Amino acid sequence: MGNVIRRSLRPENLVVNLSLLLIVVVCLLPFLWSVSSSLKGRQELFETMPSLFPRDPILGNYQFIFTRRDMSMIPLNMFNSFKVTLIAVVVQTTLATMAGYAFARMEFKGRDLLFYSLILLIFVPRAGGLMAVYELMDFLDLRNNHWGLALLYASAMSTAVFIMKQNFLSVPRELEESAVIEGANTWQVFLYVAVPLAKGGMVVVALFEFLYVWGEYLMARTLIDFPELQTLSVAVSKVTGWSALFTSSAFSTYGAEAAAHVVAMAPVILIFILMQKWFIRGLTDGILKM
Amino acid sequence: MTTMQNVERVPAQQRSAWREFLYQVRTLRSQRWGNLWGYVFVAPALILYLIFQAWPIVRGFYMAFSDYRWIIPETHGWSSFNGLANFREMAQDETFWRSLWIAVKFTLFYVPATLILALFVAVMISKVKNSKLAGFYRVVSYLPVILPVPVAMVVWRSIYHNEFGYLNHFLERVIGIGDPPNWLGSPQWALTAVLIVTVWMSFGQQALLFLIGIYNINIEQYEAAALDGAGGWAQFRHITMPGLKPIFVIVLVLSAGVLGTTVEMMVLFNTGGGPAEAVLTTGLYAFRTAFEVGDMRMGYAAAMSLVLGVISMLLSGIVFRLLRTERA
Repeated sequence: MGNVIRRSLRPENLVVNLSLLLIVVVCLLPFLWSVSSSLKGRQELFETMPSLFPRDPILGNYQFIFTRRDMSMIPLNMFNSFKVTLIAVVVQTTLATMAGYAFARMEFKGRDLLFYSLILLIFVPRAGGLMAVYELMDFLDLRNNHWGLALLYASAMSTAVFIMKQNFLSVPRELEESAVIEGANTWQVFLYVAVPLAKGGMVVVALFEFLYVWGEYLMARTLIDFPELQTLSVAVSKVTGWSALFTSSAFSTYGAEAAAHVVAMAPVILIFILMQKWFIRGLTDGILKM
Repeated sequence: MTTMQNVERVPAQQRSAWREFLYQVRTLRSQRWGNLWGYVFVAPALILYLIFQAWPIVRGFYMAFSDYRWIIPETHGWSSFNGLANFREMAQDETFWRSLWIAVKFTLFYVPATLILALFVAVMISKVKNSKLAGFYRVVSYLPVILPVPVAMVVWRSIYHNEFGYLNHFLERVIGIGDPPNWLGSPQWALTAVLIVTVWMSFGQQALLFLIGIYNINIEQYEAAALDGAGGWAQFRHITMPGLKPIFVIVLVLSAGVLGTTVEMMVLFNTGGGPAEAVLTTGLYAFRTAFEVGDMRMGYAAAMSLVLGVISMLLSGIVFRLLRTERA
């Protein structure tokens, strides 16, 4: 460790490390600020020079958003987000894996035509897409419906199919061929031989879908009308109605809002820290190869 | 010929997807039906895609040429076709032109700012020898990227807050600026406020792409250049920049979508266009027209987003043409 520090102090490294340190501070400050505000009581929040480290941290703000069911719908919204995300991730990963496998391994008429149509449609401008989706969901009776929302999210799968196809192409097909010789049928080859080798791609697809669904705003906002059905990201951006209820409380709107923000970002940060290396892999497999 | 060989012979990047598409259309007739299981495996994904992605593209395109108003049932369906009337109206619509100008201004500032910051951060991280430390920097600069956009915006809303926000406390008491801007409340600062947040949220993505590009440049090139006496700046200009050309294309093509930035403004300013509508971009104006005011004029809104989409597409097409390197 001492070595690292001494080397960092050489002039050319000093410039590098100081500028990166500044970037680190700029990147982290908003996160720290939310966490710190969420732990502060009423008095500390409105001081003239707010400190980044609460003097006496309290959990009251969290307690409020999770237990006051009459005022806070955060637990409901959180459940909705988990439900929609889970459905979308499972559906998209499953379907993209199947399609990617077919595009990589099977030969059938129009296969490449279908594949390239899927890729090219990414670049077609979605004029009035949101309006058309609204009309479609209304027609299918899927407005205010978590399954509808999740299927909509799952359907944006051009990149996912692309990643899965690349993935299957990059693993040797000999294993599959020998399984066929041993008498396995198409499904068995797919499920027991191909899929275990393509797990990496599936993780990447699931990960990026999770991030997308968890943070999606426009469609959730337009397709879900009732606050109790709303997803967390949208709900959090709207919690302003608490202010009137708070005038006499020991806690504050500001602190409770901050707690809600922390709750909304915690899952993505957790997943990100746990699965960092997959992000780089996802970027190199997805965007860079396209 | 078998299509399998096709894939192995031509990786996707070498022939453009569009050329490959045309080639496939031409040769479709001569292809054999082959393994019908393929259709079974592709069908579920394809059906979902057709319903929820392809159909809205077609329908939305039609809407742009119709007088579709959500709360007036007579205008629903296919009957309200009105030709180019929406576009004629748009040409006369001052709010539309103002909103387009705001979107263009936003893009003109956003693209270079993000690009320069991202490139700078990537080059800096690439200079860090300690791999644990470099990993730490990579993770931290990517952290804002993974944050859900609406959540990031509300967090920044509280940071920008004129009375209790941290930013102005900092500017006033640490830097010593007597009269810090009312970020979200004054028309001349509102767009800057959005700009700062969007750059904050997205430079990490580009930095990581640049970094992957830099790591892929052969280290021997730098060593040879150093032996020839090339300094840091010369190395950057003659090795790093040319080596990163493909990444520049990707980053710029992805950036063209910024023209349609909507959610950021919506959340940061509580759905309005901000003070004196200073951040009312075309995307926001279209959203408001379709979902929030009057008859919910989805037709007119679709026409506006069609114009926006075509401009973005042209922009990325131009970037692609200008910067594309000849690949063998």
